[in-house]
Amino acid sequence: MVENNDIELSEAEAEQYDRQIRLWGLESQKRLRASKVLIIGIAGLGAEIAKNVILSGVKSVCLLDNEKLKEIDLYSQFLAPPDKIGENRAEASLTRARALNPMVEITAETKSVDDLPDSYFTEYDIVCATGLKQEQLERINNACRDSNKKFLCGDVWGMYGYMFADLVDHEYSEEIVQHKAVKRSSDETEKNARETVSITVKRRAIYVPLQNALSVDWMKPEYRSRLRRGDPSYFVMKILLRFKDEYNRNPDPAKRKEDTKILLRMRDELVKELSLPAGFIVDELLLDVFGTVSGAAAVIGGVIGQEVVKAVSQREPPHNNMFFFNPVKCVGFVELYGQ
Amino acid sequence: MVARVAGVFEEKLTEAIANSKILVVGAGGIGCEILKNLVLTGFPNIEIIDLDTIDVSNLNRQFLFHKEHVGKSKAQVAKDSALSFNPNVNIVAHHDSVISNDYGVSYFKQFQIVMNALDNRVARNHVNRMCLAANVPLIETGTAGYAGQVELIKKGLTQCYECQPKAPQKTFPGCTIRNTPSEPIHCIVWAKHLFNQLFGEEDPDQDVSPDTADPEAAGEAGASALSSEGNTAGNVERKSTRAWAAETNYEPEKLFSKLFGDDIRYLLSMENLWKKRRPPTPLVWDNLPGKDNPPAQHSGLPDQRVWSVHECAQVFAASCDALQKDLKSRPDGDHLVWDKDEKSAMDFVTACANIRAHIFNIPLKSRFEIKSMAGNIIPAIATANAIVAGLAVLRAQAVLRETYRPAPVFTCALRSTIADSCLSRRRVTLTPPNPKCYVCAPKPEVGLACNLKQLTLKDLTSAFKEGLNMQAPDATVEGKGLVVLSSEPGETDHNNDKTLEEIGLNDGCALLVDDFLQNYEVRVRLQQEDEEKSWRLVTDTDAPMPAPKEEEKPANGSNGSDPKPGPSTSRTREDSDSDMEIIEEDDDEPAVKPPKRRRTEMSDEIVNLC
Repeated sequence: MVENNDIELSEAEAEQYDRQIRLWGLESQKRLRASKVLIIGIAGLGAEIAKNVILSGVKSVCLLDNEKLKEIDLYSQFLAPPDKIGENRAEASLTRARALNPMVEITAETKSVDDLPDSYFTEYDIVCATGLKQEQLERINNACRDSNKKFLCGDVWGMYGYMFADLVDHEYSEEIVQHKAVKRSSDETEKNARETVSITVKRRAIYVPLQNALSVDWMKPEYRSRLRRGDPSYFVMKILLRFKDEYNRNPDPAKRKEDTKILLRMRDELVKELSLPAGFIVDELLLDVFGTVSGAAAVIGGVIGQEVVKAVSQREPPHNNMFFFNPVKCVGFVELYGQ
Repeated sequence: MVARVAGVFEEKLTEAIANSKILVVGAGGIGCEILKNLVLTGFPNIEIIDLDTIDVSNLNRQFLFHKEHVGKSKAQVAKDSALSFNPNVNIVAHHDSVISNDYGVSYFKQFQIVMNALDNRVARNHVNRMCLAANVPLIETGTAGYAGQVELIKKGLTQCYECQPKAPQKTFPGCTIRNTPSEPIHCIVWAKHLFNQLFGEEDPDQDVSPDTADPEAAGEAGASALSSEGNTAGNVERKSTRAWAAETNYEPEKLFSKLFGDDIRYLLSMENLWKKRRPPTPLVWDNLPGKDNPPAQHSGLPDQRVWSVHECAQVFAASCDALQKDLKSRPDGDHLVWDKDEKSAMDFVTACANIRAHIFNIPLKSRFEIKSMAGNIIPAIATANAIVAGLAVLRAQAVLRETYRPAPVFTCALRSTIADSCLSRRRVTLTPPNPKCYVCAPKPEVGLACNLKQLTLKDLTSAFKEGLNMQAPDATVEGKGLVVLSSEPGETDHNNDKTLEEIGLNDGCALLVDDFLQNYEVRVRLQQEDEEKSWRLVTDTDAPMPAPKEEEKPANGSNGSDPKPGPSTSRTREDSDSDMEIIEEDDDEPAVKPPKRRRTEMSDEIVNLC
């Protein structure tokens, strides 16, 4: 994992990162400063992740994207200025990304992930992939896994979004607050003679690759029982990944009507295939999955950004292994799949 | 923008966004993020208010600001940065306090939604009332470390921000601060009081000299102490610290000898205090611990190294000197205001707190830690703010959708919280208004317990301002129409020093108190309580009210100054986007820490995940 850097923080760093050092400590900040992050897909979600990771003060961030900036991107992609439509999305985002934090080294890569060798991805300490197809995600995940590198991915469709994490075999420390009696003199009451002390404990979390999480056997009783109390967000992700696979694009706002029909049909197929209860995946969940809605990108990008910080600083329990945001209920939650 | 691109939202939502006008209160961590989301989503009319200017320590999360913006208006720079994302929207920036006559009820009425991104309770309470009066939905947000919260407040439908009593901010008894500190925070509060006594606004509630009226020291203290001390320290009690310091020309060595020598010896003479406590040890300037030892090897930030007592004394001398020069350079009658980001002010408090801690055998702290405690710094990170702001804007969309489609959105997810980036939802999401809320009830009412024989009209004014969070209260006696208190300058000032009894108010009598700006009226019942030294709000619920606790013990006559009733003084504004209650996660510690077990909510069941 990230080499711990022994070089002390400069005064400028201490000043700028003051409020977060007070939360996660100096050691975490040093680990962040030593880590190299790759962000794939610089649309709305990629921009949110990049902002959060750059602000945290990592060593370097590479923005990888082979697509051109489109008008629709501007409704959630705030790193690329409106006058750069038609230019490469990663390159168009460089100036503003650098302005967020001049202490972070920021580069752009314009190749397609398909044209890059496995060894490219494993040069980074952590990879965050957005906007890719399932097959591409699994390939990069496996490459990272083989080199014991961390992998996160996620996507936002309209107001809906998800995140997946594979931190392989992850060791981290967690601070636990304990109450200790510290009576200094007899007149002190019980209450003010108690002091909270925080102790740090080491923990370990084992992750599974994306393919395990995506190929859950819903006939198994442990998963079957989740359906009864369950939230259908996992299946919304499945449907949208299938859509992308089949049509080689995301649902298109300009084809709202046609694409909604397709999505509902795909939903019915999935329900049949996995023998899900009828009415489990309500229509409403598939109506707001067009474009990238800024608020949803902020939520998922915030969650992924925070997981990057937790993963490289090896502090605080990271999410294991999926996070979903359900816009109908306006609620997000973590669930473990495929273990 | 999005709202105008067909197909991203359903048509009616696109239309509702295009016709909306939104007010964002606060351009800090959450405010920047909210503004970005609104602008990108295509909300065409936005106003943003913030009175603050940009500081370096904001830059780790307030991403609309960069280094070159330090010192500039947050609202203005946020507006300029946000416009570069979408030049087609109309943003009005106000570098101003939201608590002002310029932003009255009619101002609030022009908005479809108000979004709060504030860092203090006073402003939150105020905006809450303005939104209730204007009947505009309010989306209230806050974060603290990894945790955060979004709540929708709608008159008559949900709780208002003040329906549930908030825990009072922590205060310490005066005698603990002045006589018997036992924790680092006691010494820090003392050091801040000392700063004000020497350089800041003098406040009798912030006395730093030994408190001879400490009930524990009862009786013998004064006599034996005075006889043994004589006049050596220049009358420990009778002269104000400021006057004495000025006479000695703020000479650090003399100040040191009085504060950390003479005053401590005086405390030692109050023998009752030390029967069960370890007595303090007075210090001598020339012979301080750590004088001959070089500082130990230190790794970490320079500010994280704990200074020796000798070093503290050096810093004390240097900072005293700098502060005194600063004070002298100002016009007569002007004073300094303590600020954690002001080097000398922070150095002074660190040094004094640590020297006093050493004297009382309390562990010393680093400047870094003392800054957190003295400045009430609540850690803040980009990600938590981003998540909360994302939720807030999605919630705003849901509110607009509600105007044309009464959806279950309103009743099923009124509150979202995040803890450690894990959002979750309360089981019962709609919390109806508290019918006894003294703010949003149809006929608001609250009791005020006080000693009518002692409480003056001036104290009553501060009770209304600080306890009821009013800006300019007017009060009349119910049924009689007699004006007791007028917000017009001069009208009732001549009564300021009269007690409530003297102006004819008695137990059980009710006042109608109103604040014109907030369009808020409350009936206040007076309750005579002989024991009450200050005042206290009494609500019908048993829960504690955010009334101030008394800080100073009574010291009738003995110190030459009468006890001043009123709220405590050791509170400061928090430096954060916080001041929220963490609603979710039934953990016992609603703190910055993430919950130990992750929970998720699926329809109506809570499940443990790992």
